[in-house]
Amino acid sequence: MITATNVSRWYGQVIGVNDINCEIGPGITALLGMNGAGKTTLIRLITGQLRPTTGDLRVFGLEPFANPDVYRRMGYCPEIDNFYEHYTGRDFVRYLARLDGMSASVGNARTDEVIDMVGMSERANRKIAGYSKGMRQRIKLAQAMLHNPDLILLDEPLNGLDPVGRREFMDLLGGLADQGKAILVSSHILFEVEQMTRSLLLLHRGRLLATGDLGVIRSLIDTHPHQIRIETDEPRRAAALLAELPNIVSMKFDRSGDAVQLEVREPAAFYDALAAAVLEKGLTIRGFSSPDNNLESVFKYLVEA
Amino acid sequence: MEGAIFMQAVRENLRFRRVIPWLFLGGVVVLGFAMNWETFQPGADKESQYAAVSSIFVFHILALISAILTSTILNQEVENKTIVYLLTRPVPRWKLLFFRYLACSLVVAALASINAVFASAGVYHGLSGNSFLIKDIAALTVGAFAYGAFFMLIGLLFNRAMIVCLLFAFGWETAVPNMPGQMSYLSINTYLQAIAQHPSTGSNKGLAALSAALGENSISTSTGYITMIVFIVVLVVFGAGWFTHFEFLPREDAE
Repeated sequence: MITATNVSRWYGQVIGVNDINCEIGPGITALLGMNGAGKTTLIRLITGQLRPTTGDLRVFGLEPFANPDVYRRMGYCPEIDNFYEHYTGRDFVRYLARLDGMSASVGNARTDEVIDMVGMSERANRKIAGYSKGMRQRIKLAQAMLHNPDLILLDEPLNGLDPVGRREFMDLLGGLADQGKAILVSSHILFEVEQMTRSLLLLHRGRLLATGDLGVIRSLIDTHPHQIRIETDEPRRAAALLAELPNIVSMKFDRSGDAVQLEVREPAAFYDALAAAVLEKGLTIRGFSSPDNNLESVFKYLVEA
Repeated sequence: MEGAIFMQAVRENLRFRRVIPWLFLGGVVVLGFAMNWETFQPGADKESQYAAVSSIFVFHILALISAILTSTILNQEVENKTIVYLLTRPVPRWKLLFFRYLACSLVVAALASINAVFASAGVYHGLSGNSFLIKDIAALTVGAFAYGAFFMLIGLLFNRAMIVCLLFAFGWETAVPNMPGQMSYLSINTYLQAIAQHPSTGSNKGLAALSAALGENSISTSTGYITMIVFIVVLVVFGAGWFTHFEFLPREDAE
């Protein structure tokens, strides 16, 4: 549905995205990158708000810039939190339904439908100015689904949603993907997108760093030692027990004296062994964290790789 | 779709908060001056009084209303970043611009016409007997479209266009018609006055300056109409082409 060939976009002297080559088809694809990586620029190129400085970008085989034929099949949930604040949520969605070419009666019916889909039926008649962040996100999503598009682009859609809202939202996206729709979700939180899809596009400083299945990227990460911090009341006994576990590269006591810091290879195998140690040898663990299990570390590993 | 764009823009421009300042200006300032104009122009007949009030207040307020309301066509959407919802809909950009322009200009024309009615009611102490009112409403309607087209184009070309528009409405449109030679032909107000065909202010230079009637204005009504129509069509077509071809992103995002 989306084909990018050597796409670059410059803002004067600043590069937004650089030499992007990718194809995006049906299903959920996550566009992952830190803030400033170029995610929003790429989405704006795909949604035809921007033109590529160089390269060729096609959506449904067409150039997307200001192209109504593309917009007829595309829904877009932008990152911005701006609305016509004096409108009610229902009026806002209804107006955009009319811009989608629906008659008043069809537009009203479809508005009710999508508002119900995002769980806003009971709050849609309130003015948007009084909405919480989560309610705003839901209304943005509703307007993106209005015309039942084949392609939906969602820029940081989970911002502001509570855990229940996130779960509902992910289920909704899953349902749409099952219908054969292409969904591109941008995020800077790896954990967030891991729950939605295995298919990733990784952007870093405007460049497409990696594409493909999350497992491949994960395994690449797993070739590097992982840092793990274990908080316990008996750090010396913990250290003695942990030293017997497989894949430990290094170990040291935390300055606070109540934690052990480890570097491990193949963290999945380590976690299995750790669980067994806790159960069989009665090791008490108060806290557990992996400081490098985040997007920054992913990029660091990938760049180093 | 076109109807939805048009009606939404009309509703947006007719919001109570937007309309009330102009109605207040008409109901208090214009009506107040019109009722007491004889104090400023003793001995003048009703036609001259109305012409002075109309030229000084109603036509200048027209430019001001247009400068402010025209920002709703596009600039406000860009500044508020809501433009993204409009630009990613299956609506040709020219239609989006044109129907919003149409709606905005009609609202401006209506508000300016109400001011003209207030001026007439103040001078004539009623709505009958003013032979200039219909011509004024015609000139104000043409003016609303002409100023609208010009300010819309300014909005497309410049960031912070409101400042440029207000400078034009207050500075250019007041000063240029009073300039010697053919400079007055560079003002929209000159052509609107040609359409309205107000009577001369006589030898009162101060009043003529305030009425923007010091300069040479030998333009006929038909020339005024033709020039304004050509002006409007050229600017709207150019603006629609520009809007279709170029990127429109919220200011800070584009930098």
